[in-house]
Amino acid sequence: MHIDEALRKRLIQTVAETVIAHAEDLTELDQAIGDGDHGLNMRRGFEAVLADRDKIAAQSLPKALHAVGMTLVMKVGGASGPLYGTLFMQLGKSIPDEPTLADATEALAAAFGAVKMRGKSDVGAKTMLDVIAPVLAALRDGADPRGLPALADAAAAATKPMRAVRGRASFLGDRSIGHIDPGARSTALILRAICDTLGAA
Amino acid sequence: MSEHAASVEITNPTGLHARPAVKLTKLAKTFADATVQVALAEGGPWIDAKSVVKIMALKAGRGAFLHIRAGGAQGAEALAALAALVRRDFDETHV
Amino acid sequence: MSNVGIVIVSHSPDVAKGAADMVRQMVGEEVPLAWCGGNADGGLGTQVQDILDAIDRAWSEAGVAILVDLGGAETNSDMAIELLPEERRDRVVVCNAPVVEGAVVAATEASGGSPLAVVRATAEELSP
Repeated sequence: MHIDEALRKRLIQTVAETVIAHAEDLTELDQAIGDGDHGLNMRRGFEAVLADRDKIAAQSLPKALHAVGMTLVMKVGGASGPLYGTLFMQLGKSIPDEPTLADATEALAAAFGAVKMRGKSDVGAKTMLDVIAPVLAALRDGADPRGLPALADAAAAATKPMRAVRGRASFLGDRSIGHIDPGARSTALILRAICDTLGAA
Repeated sequence: MSEHAASVEITNPTGLHARPAVKLTKLAKTFADATVQVALAEGGPWIDAKSVVKIMALKAGRGAFLHIRAGGAQGAEALAALAALVRRDFDETHV
Repeated sequence: MSNVGIVIVSHSPDVAKGAADMVRQMVGEEVPLAWCGGNADGGLGTQVQDILDAIDRAWSEAGVAILVDLGGAETNSDMAIELLPEERRDRVVVCNAPVVEGAVVAATEASGGSPLAVVRATAEELSP
């Protein structure tokens, strides 16, 4: 698929606006099990991405993804910065200029592995990995990409009964059960924004 | 082998707490050609005086005797220096 | 010969600075030392750029040992190490040790001229 500069701009715009618009919801989720700064941190990061939109979009797709990751690393603060930063930076390292769906799937697989290492975590620990994993599995099974946002939403919701073992939420132990993980939620939001923009293109 | 030994009473009011432990360890480390061990009882257990974590864990209070033994080319020198440090109350300023 | 540098990373700038003060008072001046903490809004947090700057301030040819407090401090420190120039990357480590005690014992070990691996191992003796 050819993702030209105009489309790259729209992708950045939509993803950033989606995260910024949901900052308060994310903060609310994080207040339940974290330190309540996920929404604010993500908003700060994506506001910086939005401010650099044209400069980032002018670069090739791999470089643009890497630049988004680097901006998040530097601006988000908190553990989400390096985690989302790693996700986008690794996507940038692994994706070709004009990716097929198979290329995008493999890039997501590489990014999944990188985030896993960065967070020293895995599936089932109530994190963003719990959204990426089923999306990745569906892509590998050849699922229709149009179904991915709903799948991601369901996967984020499915973190509710999980018990956190990493990050601030892990201090709550069993009390982390019963709340959706804010990182899983923001991952689902970002994925929906990407799918919607690409689907409309 | 440890050829030199001494026993020194800890007279520092707060004992061999964290800051003195750092001083003792740092001083021991300046003698590269010496092995230095300390113990709270003559029979041991003997602890490497260059290990700050182990010295801190000793938790030796005022009135305890610190047994020191040292070996190697700088053994005598190291022993004298460490014993003197303990006698000087680790150069702590008492208020 | 240069001694290993120590970097203290805490979510709170007050904690980081306090730990650094303890190192200076208890261990002395012979170890390069830097600290950072807090987020861009003045709240609790850690930032990759601040950690990179602190590594730079505490830089030593013998390497730098980083002491961190909570999870995000470690994740951000790992990220910072990865963003270092290649010739520095292998000479910076995050110690698995409590931040205050770890900083003091790591600095004590470093003040004697011990190599980075030994400084790290000494700090990690504190962790069961």
